[in-house]
Amino acid sequence: MLQTSTVPGPAPTIFLAGEMDLDCADSLRTAVAGAARGAQTVTLDFSGVEFIDSSGTGIFVRLCLDLKSQGVPVVARNLTAPVHGVFEMLRVRELVGEDVLPVA
Amino acid sequence: MRAEAWTGWVGPFRPDARPRTRLPATGDAVAPRAGADEGSEAQAAGEAEMMPCSLHVYRYRRGGAGIGAVVGAYDPGLPEDDLVAQADEALERATFMCYAVAQADDFVEDELCFVPCGDHCEILSIHTNGWRRHHGDHRRSLVEILSDLAAAVACGRLRLFDGEEIAVEAGAGDELLHMAIDEPRALARARRAVDARLAAEGLDPALRRTTLLPISEAVTNLLLHGGGSGELTLRRLPDRVRAVVSDRGPGLNFLNWIEPPDVSGQASMGYGFKIITENLDVVGLHTQPDGTTLLLDRIV
Repeated sequence: MLQTSTVPGPAPTIFLAGEMDLDCADSLRTAVAGAARGAQTVTLDFSGVEFIDSSGTGIFVRLCLDLKSQGVPVVARNLTAPVHGVFEMLRVRELVGEDVLPVA
Repeated sequence: MRAEAWTGWVGPFRPDARPRTRLPATGDAVAPRAGADEGSEAQAAGEAEMMPCSLHVYRYRRGGAGIGAVVGAYDPGLPEDDLVAQADEALERATFMCYAVAQADDFVEDELCFVPCGDHCEILSIHTNGWRRHHGDHRRSLVEILSDLAAAVACGRLRLFDGEEIAVEAGAGDELLHMAIDEPRALARARRAVDARLAAEGLDPALRRTTLLPISEAVTNLLLHGGGSGELTLRRLPDRVRAVVSDRGPGLNFLNWIEPPDVSGQASMGYGFKIITENLDVVGLHTQPDGTTLLLDRIV
């Protein structure tokens, strides 16, 4: 199960914790939609994510592409080892861009 | 891997035979949904009836046994002599060969891979049936997917089973765990239950993580594309732990690739199976229009 908490503001940060799988779509989408309204940029903090699979990754990619198409920059930070491993395996940076996932 | 245009086909693989009006394949009776194929050539051409993309696997054995179907039904209209010749060459050269049957505009109609596997040759084919990926879509192409499948077969990481073989393999060893899967929330429960059993079998945390991920992918596929329910069984064989994930869905027909977003609110990226084949020691697959079974082996 995915838990989210948001530090609001013009540049909100959404802290993600738990598991990102098929079951996380609604909670992640709701959290991002609420935080992104009128935001200049949105930061997703993965420091609490213990598990992610291709469904969780797909939801993240879709959200990033949607926000970018609306002119809202997105940044992902503090990737845990499981998240980093899956993102590398699936070449997520090529899908969302280095602006979202900067090269370390 | 070698890929080249193959212009020598006649019959069902003829490059100008697009789209097929009939395929004895998985999901044979399913028509594409309205709006599902924006950007496809065939839709632009106003084709009234299109079949889904379809995966076929045929098995060739030397010595007069000929070619039989493993995934999908055997099409009697296939140019069998050509298939046999290519399969023989793949076996003699001990290398797998891929051919893209392409249109003049480079649209790939069929991708065929001949993969030598010891005493036989597996022939994998995805027929695109005129479907194209959505423009700007982040999903993988069917050719990438098939190439990954063929490479996994060539490396021995993916084994393809017919109905009799899978019945034996899925029942081998001792049962450690059995769960019914019928909702997304079951994913987390399944991971926790499997993790506990893997720990009891002596797998260290790192190995458990790389085992749980592909099992989770397989269960997700079951929920999204396998009819929404099925079973997960964990079994212990002398040299390995095996997860058996089975459903009674429509089989591997790639409808998820061409359909718009589903219950998860997103279209399938096509990456789940890549994770499955790249993170396990051996994967077994049996798929037909009445269901799919995956064997996920971790050698211990």
